[in-house]
Amino acid sequence: METLTKEKIEKGLAVLNDHHDSKLLTHLNSCVRCGLCAKTCIYYLTDPQEKNIPAKKVDIVSSIYKKYNTFTGKVAPGLVGARTLDEDTVVEMVDLLFGTCTVCGRCVSHCSVGVDISYVIKKGREMLAQMGYIPETLQSTVNAALVSGNNMSISNEDFVETLEWLNEDLQFEVDDNTATIPLNEKGKDLLYTLNPREPKFFPLSISAMAKVFYAAKESWTISTKMYDITNYAYYTNHNEEAKIIAQRLYDEMENMQAKKCILAECGHGSRAFRWEGPNYLQKEYHFDVMTSVELMAQYIREGRIKVDPEKVPQIVTLHDPCNLARTGGIWKEQRYILSKAVKNFVEMTPHGIDNYCCGGGGGQLAMSEYNDRRLKIADIKAEQIRKTGAVIVATPCHNCVDQLTQINITFKLNVQIKTIAEIVADAIVLESKSE
Amino acid sequence: MATIEIEDKIFEVDGDGFLTKPEIWNEDVAKLFAKHDGIEEMNDKHWAIVNIIRRNYEEKGMAPMIRVICKETGLRLREIYELFPLGPARGACKVAGLPKPDGCV
Repeated sequence: METLTKEKIEKGLAVLNDHHDSKLLTHLNSCVRCGLCAKTCIYYLTDPQEKNIPAKKVDIVSSIYKKYNTFTGKVAPGLVGARTLDEDTVVEMVDLLFGTCTVCGRCVSHCSVGVDISYVIKKGREMLAQMGYIPETLQSTVNAALVSGNNMSISNEDFVETLEWLNEDLQFEVDDNTATIPLNEKGKDLLYTLNPREPKFFPLSISAMAKVFYAAKESWTISTKMYDITNYAYYTNHNEEAKIIAQRLYDEMENMQAKKCILAECGHGSRAFRWEGPNYLQKEYHFDVMTSVELMAQYIREGRIKVDPEKVPQIVTLHDPCNLARTGGIWKEQRYILSKAVKNFVEMTPHGIDNYCCGGGGGQLAMSEYNDRRLKIADIKAEQIRKTGAVIVATPCHNCVDQLTQINITFKLNVQIKTIAEIVADAIVLESKSE
Repeated sequence: MATIEIEDKIFEVDGDGFLTKPEIWNEDVAKLFAKHDGIEEMNDKHWAIVNIIRRNYEEKGMAPMIRVICKETGLRLREIYELFPLGPARGACKVAGLPKPDGCV
């Protein structure tokens, strides 16, 4: 690793010294070591070592706090488990906070005293970010976004060509040569966003959403300048970089003069823009932000689109993205949609806000060095899916889709992985033109 | 640095199994990597996809858009997903010897 200089140490400690943050002090000092969190964590459940207990991840951050910010920690560190921020500590922090946590927050909802464990872990990541110890594999995706404007470095020309190609596909699918994917149209009701992996490799979800918008006769547009819903700096916890990325979408909302920003099916991206964004930017949004899942539920509820469950007769189960369901509180809408759009919906156990992480969250999908762990923790999700007997696994998050696709192959589940929009598009009943 | 051994040959790879030295790639490497991912025999369609990905990488330093793969090979989208069940990134790009793409893949 790169040398830990005095300057770096000061930058790391400054994160803990921010006394404006009363939440941090409370949560750093409240763990009662009851151990309840152990069996809520997919890392501990699949590899029951002490270091994998969520409380141990809180402990490494709080032990550094004690060393530099408390009297006993300074004079008798051994008594209170205070720990010096040295190279060994940094190596362990990287391993525990980046390499052994998907920041899924399941431990938080089971904590006996309500410690926001994810928050402390993210503060630890923030220290590492300030010191320059973000895993390169993760930072690479942030850099791609910072340099190119989207996290897969898609050129503007390639993006436009892809959407034009999908536009032809849409016209064929709905049998209407006036159907369009509107690009860069100002003053529409909705500005729709995408995860760059959609135009790059997996465009079926774009086609699906375009079909839904067509059926709903929606006033919408996509900006070719800024469409990227992701914000990997949310994972690295380099908040200045997270701010730059969030600011771009905010600026594009202003530029396009849309009334609502509709977030593609992306857990962390939804969280980073809708819920963390106003904190990054230090301002309230003057426009609405809504996930496409909520929007589709609304369309069905209001009768703006019609769906026929007979069109999706297979057994469908649902995976809950942590950032959307557990921490975002959006877990009923996708169930409402499936209750209307598929014939056989089966819940996995547990589900909703208590569901297990797929294993790809927290930036794990990008960090190749922890690939073996990522597939080991996935054992739990594979079993959950297997027990449902489902043929289709739906999930409103592209990051989860990728991890689930790998789980599907690795554990030989033989299922199909789909976004909610893809399911809705399959079930949709278009008005006949004669009407 | 991780390594994988396929049929007595050892390759340096990242944790996800992507070649760390894309320049050592050749058709034999592609066949071995495909086999490692459960594709026993590379057919003409597999090769068409891998070759267009490889060419794009050598010319532009990155994987092509899926649109380009469809256009150049004449294959339908769903056919590509069937040929490479892990998808264009983790499946086809890996066989084509590219480094792991950035983003949610």
